[in-house]
Amino acid sequence: MSEIKDPKALEQPAKAKKPKINLNRLEMPKQEPADRRRNFNEVATGYTYEMAMEEAHRCLQCKKRNCQDGCPVNIDIPDFIHALQQGDIKEASRVLKTKTSLPGVCGRVCPQEVQCEKHCTLNKKGAPIAIGRLERFIADWERSQGGFTLPEMAPSSGKKVAVVGSGPSGLTVASDLAIRGHQVVQFEALHVAGGVLVYGIPEFRLPKAIVRREVEYVKTLGVDLRLDTVIGINYSLDELLNGEFHAVYLATGAGLPKFLNIPGENLNMVYSANEFLTRTNLMKAYLYPEYATPVKIGKRVAVIGGGNVAMDSARCSVRLGAQEVCVIYRRTRAEMPARLEEVENAEEEGVKFYFLCNPTALLSDGRTNVSAMELVRMRLTEPDESGRRRPVPIPGSETIMDFDTVVVSLGTSPNPLISSTTPDLEVTRRGTVVADEHGKTSKARVWAGGDLVSGGATVISAMGEGRRAAAAMHEFLSNGRKKIIPPSPATE
Amino acid sequence: MFSIVKHQELAPKVHRLSVQAPVIAEKAKPGQFVILITDDKGERVPFTISGWDREAGTVDFVFIEVGATTRKLATLGPGDQLAHFVGPLGLPAKIDHYGHVVTLLSGYGLAAMVPILRALKEQDNRITSILQAPDQERLFEMETLTELSDELVLAVGTRGEHMTESATMALRQLLGNHRRVPVDRVIAMCSICLMRVASEMTRPLAIKTLVHLTPVMVDGTGMCGACRLSVKGANRFACVHGPEFDGHEVEGWDVLMARRCTYADESILQQGFQCRGCSQW
Ligand SMILES: Cc1cc2nc3c(=O)[nH]c(=O)nc-3n(C[C@H](O)[C@H](O)[C@H](O)COP(=O)(O)OP(=O)(O)OC[C@H]3O[C@@H](n4cnc5c(N)ncnc54)[C@H](O)[C@@H]3O)c2cc1C
Ligand SMILES: Cc1cc2nc3c(=O)[nH]c(=O)nc-3n(C[C@H](O)[C@H](O)[C@H](O)COP(=O)(O)OP(=O)(O)OC[C@H]3O[C@@H](n4cnc5c(N)ncnc54)[C@H](O)[C@@H]3O)c2cc1C
Ligand code: SF4
Ligand code: SF4
Ligand code: FES
Repeated sequence: MSEIKDPKALEQPAKAKKPKINLNRLEMPKQEPADRRRNFNEVATGYTYEMAMEEAHRCLQCKKRNCQDGCPVNIDIPDFIHALQQGDIKEASRVLKTKTSLPGVCGRVCPQEVQCEKHCTLNKKGAPIAIGRLERFIADWERSQGGFTLPEMAPSSGKKVAVVGSGPSGLTVASDLAIRGHQVVQFEALHVAGGVLVYGIPEFRLPKAIVRREVEYVKTLGVDLRLDTVIGINYSLDELLNGEFHAVYLATGAGLPKFLNIPGENLNMVYSANEFLTRTNLMKAYLYPEYATPVKIGKRVAVIGGGNVAMDSARCSVRLGAQEVCVIYRRTRAEMPARLEEVENAEEEGVKFYFLCNPTALLSDGRTNVSAMELVRMRLTEPDESGRRRPVPIPGSETIMDFDTVVVSLGTSPNPLISSTTPDLEVTRRGTVVADEHGKTSKARVWAGGDLVSGGATVISAMGEGRRAAAAMHEFLSNGRKKIIPPSPATE
Repeated sequence: MFSIVKHQELAPKVHRLSVQAPVIAEKAKPGQFVILITDDKGERVPFTISGWDREAGTVDFVFIEVGATTRKLATLGPGDQLAHFVGPLGLPAKIDHYGHVVTLLSGYGLAAMVPILRALKEQDNRITSILQAPDQERLFEMETLTELSDELVLAVGTRGEHMTESATMALRQLLGNHRRVPVDRVIAMCSICLMRVASEMTRPLAIKTLVHLTPVMVDGTGMCGACRLSVKGANRFACVHGPEFDGHEVEGWDVLMARRCTYADESILQQGFQCRGCSQW
């Protein structure tokens, strides 16, 4: 955790007459690779107050708000940075929170390099403003100030809404609708709220205390959070709609793991990334036996895939004590969907990368444990109509590498538990729920968003879709059959 | 939190717990299971639902002490609480009128099969139950099993001791008699090795054989893939596509057995663990 001083205790930095453009962004302090290979503490320790001020003062306060256009939820970036420049962190936080309910999360895990920071004017000549790091600083500062400042709550509308799933999308809708006066019940299948933020993304990238706090905040808004409740099993979607709820928001994410469908994939010590990360992060297997769930890992680990999930799996493997960790990806470094920062972190931690190769079989040690992987080399073809260069195998280029643990991280698709029990909910061939730009689905009174609709995107897009859906749901709940709410009985 | 309302010791290291869980009791069907967590640092552990009372809102399961969680459960009693309890998970067992059904039971299966037997009985099936246990002391739920089965065959003991009869021998006899007294279906909830052998025995006779598989599970809702197995060439998740499968369609029994024991050596670290001493005996 960064050391955050009371801003008022510090003198305002002297105003320069003609500010010179500083093209170099301030690096954020990190744990040394040799240290962090052995612990699950957060890798980046965050800006100090002085660092945040220095970085904020680089901002040009552009008239044309390029940065803001790059943010999927359109955060008023120049305004919150302006407040920071004035040393008014509280105001900066207020500006942030008008557009994002999870600044501490987005500041850490947003792919800023392809969003807000990519569009920053400074990016043309030098390094863009470290917008994410500043957001993180503001959120951490607010957290260090203790309790939440509760927003103004609208009077009760008398309407009741069910939110299914408690990932970033569900949490956003729950809080937005609660603030607007609707009664919200949020259902979560797992025993902890937070979705991928708790079961997937590891502690060293996103401390769970931050997610817990966001969940606490949503609960203080009056949201009734019901854990251990699986929609599609405990209640069907129709039961919710025919029962007490006027509207439902579905945000169950994309939790179904994909496999390679190659021989040997079910051998012992072959994990899906979901299992591996769930054991490690949600169940805290890295603290076994204090926590009762173990995770077994060998000496040589192969992680198949090139996304954030693959990076997280590889870096967890390093921390769990594997001697060698290799990422196997079928395209090249340039096509890797993982965030650049995390790829660099993984490399610093000793993770090796094998590009342009694809597993074709997993081999057994004779006792049904995986012991090796057969790979084929790939080459990229000319770009097709979509502009993507498809990888194709080079015949005869098969090789074998020894591995005693394999983590398959090929992406996920939505879990069919709800769609299979709701025939009139339109889904695509990929299993994603069909929804319009407001999140409205084919079924009356049902909205959906996040990975369930996109099939796997980002925290901020899941949140943004939640925002838009909440607005549409609020409109639906407030319009038409307006119920007259009797004034509440006088209380002493 | 979920309150424990009753704790009954059925045999040495075998216990039945009743838990207050109205939402689960409301929907429970034969063959489904729950996942529980004892406390904040606990593991997610699956147990087959062995009974329920919709009015009282309680759900029962029977467990055998094998490792950390089950030993912890054995110390809990009325008034204690479980941190988490989720279900009913998995698909219900298939129930219909089949005719003559042979069930193969061992370990917790003796109790966990009861709701299935009861439903089969309601469909007018004739039931022969083969029970296997290491010794007389570790038989339980006998009264109910006797009541629900038209015929009861005991296979009690260990080879080399006073083995009355092994479950496979008993099954072989029944199958040998198949022409005169046909067996219409076999349902097995017992050790994985026995389920495998039984499936191979019935295959040549084309007698539909259903096995209740229990690979290691984590979430129990189809999210982690830990419980996957190969069925008729396709990957299936035991927690959502099972736990009941057609034994003739299950492929890769060796892998299934090895995966089930992935964490066996972790348990060896725990005092008192014996291989072959898993919860299905
Ligand atoms: C390992 C990993 C790393 C990632 N890293 C990044 C990153 O660095 N940056 C980034 O922007 N994005 C990242 N992502 C993607 C991002 O986390 C997701 O896009 C985002 O969490 C989607 O949010 P959501 O609310 O739609 O769903 P989720 O977060 O998936 O939440 C869905 C919730 O619904 C619950 N649920 C499911 N089914 C039911 C049911 N039937 N009944 C009740 N509850 C149910 C689930 O248990 C879960 O809690 C990562 C994803 C993973 C897996
Ligand atoms: C669908 C399903 C239904 C089940 N129903 C019952 C039941 O009704 N009664 C009962 O006593 N047991 C049941 N089991 C098995 C039970 O889950 C394990 O006995 C339990 O996990 C042991 O936990 P532990 O911490 O006490 O022991 P551990 O130390 O975790 O394990 C001891 C040994 O038990 C086996 N085991 C561990 N985890 C599992 C698991 N998830 N599934 C199967 N075996 C495992 C392994 O062989 C392991 O070596 C069921 C399992 C499944 C998957
Ligand atoms: S929410 Fe993400 S994309 Fe938007 S400004 Fe913040 S870091 Fe950038
Ligand atoms: S584009 Fe960059 S420099 Fe300009 S206002 Fe936005 S953050 Fe500041
Ligand atoms: S237990 Fe996770 S998918 Fe079955």
